[in-house]
Amino acid sequence: MDVFGSFALLLAFVCAVYAFVGGIAAIRTRHPLLVKSTRQAGLAACGLIFLATLSLEYLFFSDNFSVAYVVAHSNRSLSPFYKVAALWSGQEGSLLFWSFLLAVYVFSALIAYRNKNGELMPYVGVVLAGVQIFFLTLNNFVASPFKALAVPGVNGAMDLVARGDGNGLNPLLQYPEMVIHPPNLYSGYTGFTIPFAFALGALLARYPGEKWIHLTRKWTMIAWGFQTAGILLGAHWAYAVLGWGGYWAWDPVENASLLPWLTGTAFLHSVMMQEKRGMMKVWNVWLVFSTFLLCILGTFLTRSGVVSSVHAFASSNIGSWFVGFIGVILLVCLAAYFKNRDYLKSENQLDSIVSRESSFLFNNLILLVSCVAVLSGTLFPVFSEWFTGDRISVGTPFFNKVNIPIGLLLLFLTGVGPLLAWRKTSLDSLKRNFGWPLLMGLIAGAIAFPLGIRGFYALICLVLCVFVAATITMEFYRGAKVIRSRSGASFLASAVDLTMRNTRRYGGYIVHMGMVLIFIGIAGTAFNRDVQKEMQIGSTMQIGPYSLLLQNVDNKQEKNYTAERMVIEVTRDNKPVMMLYPERRIFPANQASGTMVAIYSTLKQDLYVVYAGQSPDTQVPVIHVYLNPLVKCIWFGGVIVVLGTLVALLPNRRSVLVLSAVPEPTRVKSLAGTLTPSPTLREGHD
Amino acid sequence: MIKVRKLLFLVVLVCAAGSLPLLVSPLPAQQPSDRAHQIGGKFMCMCGCNQVLSQCNHVGCTVSTAMLKEVDQSLARGDSEDTITQMFVQEFGTKVYAEPPHSGFSLVAWSMPAVYLAVGLVLVLLVINRWRKRPVHAVSGAAANSSGISAETLERARVRAARETQD
Repeated sequence: MDVFGSFALLLAFVCAVYAFVGGIAAIRTRHPLLVKSTRQAGLAACGLIFLATLSLEYLFFSDNFSVAYVVAHSNRSLSPFYKVAALWSGQEGSLLFWSFLLAVYVFSALIAYRNKNGELMPYVGVVLAGVQIFFLTLNNFVASPFKALAVPGVNGAMDLVARGDGNGLNPLLQYPEMVIHPPNLYSGYTGFTIPFAFALGALLARYPGEKWIHLTRKWTMIAWGFQTAGILLGAHWAYAVLGWGGYWAWDPVENASLLPWLTGTAFLHSVMMQEKRGMMKVWNVWLVFSTFLLCILGTFLTRSGVVSSVHAFASSNIGSWFVGFIGVILLVCLAAYFKNRDYLKSENQLDSIVSRESSFLFNNLILLVSCVAVLSGTLFPVFSEWFTGDRISVGTPFFNKVNIPIGLLLLFLTGVGPLLAWRKTSLDSLKRNFGWPLLMGLIAGAIAFPLGIRGFYALICLVLCVFVAATITMEFYRGAKVIRSRSGASFLASAVDLTMRNTRRYGGYIVHMGMVLIFIGIAGTAFNRDVQKEMQIGSTMQIGPYSLLLQNVDNKQEKNYTAERMVIEVTRDNKPVMMLYPERRIFPANQASGTMVAIYSTLKQDLYVVYAGQSPDTQVPVIHVYLNPLVKCIWFGGVIVVLGTLVALLPNRRSVLVLSAVPEPTRVKSLAGTLTPSPTLREGHD
Repeated sequence: MIKVRKLLFLVVLVCAAGSLPLLVSPLPAQQPSDRAHQIGGKFMCMCGCNQVLSQCNHVGCTVSTAMLKEVDQSLARGDSEDTITQMFVQEFGTKVYAEPPHSGFSLVAWSMPAVYLAVGLVLVLLVINRWRKRPVHAVSGAAANSSGISAETLERARVRAARETQD
């Protein structure tokens, strides 16, 4: 099966090269048969990548320990659940997984638009094939996952061998979220290839109209949704597995995933300027290009070893390939832009600085500043080593100090932006839309201050969160009220109806509401508490309202690991709350150890318990307990963000507004009878 | 005699008052530990975990334990935070910092976000200014030069209005 997989990958490479070269020829000659055959070659490449991926999974499931990658990342006792995840646990397999997800996207795009956008698709196909060629080159010639296990023989030649069992999977990856976090994150990374291909293809083809920007936006939203889910799942994994009490450590690999998310978010906002006002075309194209380049840069950072990270793959010489690819992409983008920049000329003017257009500009500015600040902070150790010879670390304190003010500015714009009108916002409209929300935010601040929320950032964050939540709630309230007055339906049904009539706008509001919850959760960090102490069996400790009694420390034997665990009874006001079992696991296959955190989670706070092992001096069990307020808001907010994204992707249930050149007197009456007055027509909306 | 008794009582009272904080506060040995934990937030653990020293949670991590112990001992000697920083930089190099120091080349790291923001702000204001000065063409131009609006112009205007007011 390893030979089959290798062969499938090689054939996929050949097909991708044909799709690329043949695609360029097809664009030049416009020969229909050539266009069709290159598209078929693109589809065939995708099919072959699927087969190669399946064959690697088969090797895992059949415990084929003659393949080096399987030996390094699996063993016989590994559960089938994690054998699936073993595919992306190492450098070679994760690159194949990247190719696989890219193939899913490419296949979907080629099939979905096979009879549409005839002038644009050959260009898109060529760009996609170009990206596939790069990854298939790595899969075939640089980091093949199908390499046979070999050891040096007596005469110096390599002898093929097969092991009885493998080294097993990294214990940190043996956690349910690691089965869904990487696929989500990779789906985000690879998904940004499609908008990139559409943007570059449209620029190269000088494709007329705005269709391509709609397509780009849709695919960006899909990739962005996956990226968001991937980042949050990763954060939850870090929280629940790594056992340091937090969820985001500004590790280079975490930062790498955040960078394209930030530029992708900027694009999803500024693209509206192009769709509605024909403005910011150059900016949008470069945002799409940058997002894709940052995806590749992130992959480079993770895989090259240029920055140290706990998440990084083993350092290898693969980094130079990524640098070369980034260089080529940048050159192609620059050449395409300079050749066709007149195609991206803006159409409109700006009427007022107090307008939706300006808010998008500032929103983009803040997102980009955050992105560049995170990037330069991540790379600063490398720069400092180049310039001074000393490597200066940049850790959590730096990123927090820089990004918290930026995040709060962004939160402020989240509340302000959507309520500003296109072109110009009047003073009256400002008062009407922002008066109550601002008052509510200030009241919340005034209540919070005497309650002990005195930290500057925490207080500002709370005021802004209430302000933004109030603006969004008012938007739903006003719209639903209009529908309710017409239809007589319940308020909730009216709100749902309102959302389904304009999914993009109200889906966006739902996403914003999710972000508010995430900010509330992050603000809770200011009130974290923790205690670490040695605990004899039978002793108790107190943290916040909870009392923890260590009943016992026992051992349990599982198929793939042995665990030493604490049995802790949690009580509150002398009433039992629940039992917690924090563990320390030992994996014999690779002699690695890991923690399994026990969490008692409520809406208000998380009781987070880590068994930190036995004290080397006294052999007494050591417990590390954290009380983390509002963490649940982050996960709940994440779910809402993803749901909002899904809503925004749905088509509108029916058109809210119909405008067409028809004789007015006869038509107006009938329109008045059939159309519900839409809140989107009011100033300050949309 | 009474004066002497009063004086002795006063001395005892002052001594008792002076020793009160010792009775109320945690054990002296505990204080440096908390302080060490706080100072540990400014350094990276050198075990390779890429975590801040006070947050390193590796089971049985000997490096973080030893580093925090060093901080404890330094504090017991009465060393200042700067002295502890110097000690760690000498021992591990500049990679021990959890955040770049506010001096020398590291100032670049601290100043860059502000520079990005300032440059970005200037650019945005320039763009806004340029857009505001841009002449309006298309629909308004066509409409201005005719007394009656053509059907094609009207249709274009309607499409544009729809696009700009709908999501």
